[in-house]
Amino acid sequence: MEILFFGRLGDVSANMSCGLPKGVSDTDSLSSWLSEKNETLAAELAKAGNRIAVNKTIITQNTLLTDKDEVAFMSPLSGG
Amino acid sequence: MSTKFLQVSKEEFDPELAHKSFRKAVNGAGAIVAFTGLVRGEGQDDLTLTLSHYPDFTEAEITKITQRAEERWPLIGWHIIHRVGPMTAGEPIVFVATASAHRRAAFEAADFIMDYLKSEAPFWKSETIDGKQNWIEPRGQDISDKKRWSL
Repeated sequence: MEILFFGRLGDVSANMSCGLPKGVSDTDSLSSWLSEKNETLAAELAKAGNRIAVNKTIITQNTLLTDKDEVAFMSPLSGG
Repeated sequence: MSTKFLQVSKEEFDPELAHKSFRKAVNGAGAIVAFTGLVRGEGQDDLTLTLSHYPDFTEAEITKITQRAEERWPLIGWHIIHRVGPMTAGEPIVFVATASAHRRAAFEAADFIMDYLKSEAPFWKSETIDGKQNWIEPRGQDISDKKRWSL
């Protein structure tokens, strides 16, 4: 799977290309897995306003994952 | 060039040329409204603004914004150019042009698209002053600007 980080989150973690980590089956468990590995990222993921996209679609609830998925963790947007 | 055009790229652009090519593309329109956003100086000579995006996703989300504008106003066409990468004060960062038969639709649609670009489009902006980088997140004003459209 591809795990991507954008904005502020990209400062605290590099993008990853890996299989589905052990014990990870959905976006909630992926967030927990990432938070356990990286304390700074954990603090950023806990902040309000972040969004998650699975295969380039924003999700609003816990979503099942496979090792073919692309998951993007995005800090608050700021365009224009 | 097509009546609808979206470009997100690191390339610098010339808003006057962009306006000219839009005018050619929407031949027959009665009104064109074009907005150019520039990197603000803030009195800092050494300011660098850096924008990043999520390729394909960003373009898809902007296309959704334009579809909402098309549902709401009778548009003949629109062109949007958005820069990413590092930029310095005074450089154009965004160009939004809309065309319609009459002025009101073009004015409102351009305003609507800008408000949504500011708050909903997947871009991440940081500024670097004296080598120090700060992330910029949406201002309260951007959120209330978007609420004007009550969608």
